[in-house]
Amino acid sequence: MSKIKDDTSSIWTSLAKKGVSRRDFIKFCSTMAATLALPSSFVPRIVEALEKKQRPYAVWLEFQDCAGDSESMLRATKPTIAEVVLDVISLEYHETIMAGSGKSAEKALQDVVKNQKGKYIAIVEGAIPTKDGGIYCTIGGKTALDIAKEVCGNAAMSLAVGSCASWGGIASAKPNPTGAVGVGAAVPGITYVNLPGCPMNVENVTATVVHYLTFGSLPALDGEHRPLFAHGKIIHNNCERRAHFDAGQFVRKWGDEGHRLGWCLYEMGCKGPEAHFNCPTIRWNGGTSWPVQAGHPCFACASTNNWDAFGPIYSRLENVPGAGYQTTADKIGATVAAVAAAGVAAHAVIRAAKGTPHKEEKE
Amino acid sequence: MAKIAIDPITRIEGHLRIEAQVEGGKVTDAWSSGTMWRGIEIILKGRDPRECWALTSRI
Ligand code: SF4
Repeated sequence: MSKIKDDTSSIWTSLAKKGVSRRDFIKFCSTMAATLALPSSFVPRIVEALEKKQRPYAVWLEFQDCAGDSESMLRATKPTIAEVVLDVISLEYHETIMAGSGKSAEKALQDVVKNQKGKYIAIVEGAIPTKDGGIYCTIGGKTALDIAKEVCGNAAMSLAVGSCASWGGIASAKPNPTGAVGVGAAVPGITYVNLPGCPMNVENVTATVVHYLTFGSLPALDGEHRPLFAHGKIIHNNCERRAHFDAGQFVRKWGDEGHRLGWCLYEMGCKGPEAHFNCPTIRWNGGTSWPVQAGHPCFACASTNNWDAFGPIYSRLENVPGAGYQTTADKIGATVAAVAAAGVAAHAVIRAAKGTPHKEEKE
Repeated sequence: MAKIAIDPITRIEGHLRIEAQVEGGKVTDAWSSGTMWRGIEIILKGRDPRECWALTSRI
């Protein structure tokens, strides 16, 4: 958290100064290419960009948040990723970790907004309340809404990290007492990327910044302004428990035999069949695990309005467009699997009979 | 006699403002305010009790 200075060293130079080996640097660039779903032939381009580019200035704003996204960033466990995140960007303002308070904190923020106008990255964590003039979140006497307008409005781009900043998250769950919205809705017209997740995954955030530095543009986005590399596929299709779903092997009670054997969590409320996120491949805490691997159903944390749109966490998906899993799952579990028919075939037959395409096939 | 305000208080989770009354170099009175509210208590009303942990753990 340095004072603004003319730091002309490139990202690679500053990493090297911190003792990051060339080998780890190349490894990091390869991981980024993989995260961005780019072929390995792009690795040299990423390497070259990070060798040449200076670190963009960044400020991290916290509004209606729990600091979970900050934790997600700070607890990145891969040997170099935490350093890289803090080194790829030059973080000048972050309430939870910065040294200055009060006026000196305000000044650090204002310095970036004024001196780096149009060049810095605004990272936003937390929702923005709009009800009653925005009084439900103020910092230094200013409303979150006014701060977002000023800081995001003058940035090169804004990254909405976590579900709250992306679309309102928990704060916007019914009945949304404070009129909480995401950054894109609060400050119309800005250039921004939603990086939802509860919390966000630091590797997706870093990959987005690396993409921007390498290609000078935002990665391809979906209809919800989320990068396709992270949200282009549904969890269900990459889930390590999928074979059990197809075979009709479901956990039916916490701690039952199926649970101990790692069977599918669909019956326990898993929203994986409707949730678009790269958790199964990228995982968390440096690739250690992810909720389904740990035995808990996915609750679609990165899907817009997840707290209300998918029903309670532990209720089986019902009445969602393209649903049919209930029938499928029950039939497979009760009859089809019993006669040893292939789950996949049964799935397809029932689907064809219903004449409704599954959402999963739209990707 | 002066009143000072420190806002934001950093290195904490959440949003905090401290105001203090200073007389002769001594703090004689002080006020703290949490400056962010989401209404989680209201959001929890009527929800499936089994999922409440997931919301409250994100306060
Ligand atoms: S329902 Fe959930 S646990 Fe089962 S295969 Fe799909 S994503 Fe995995």
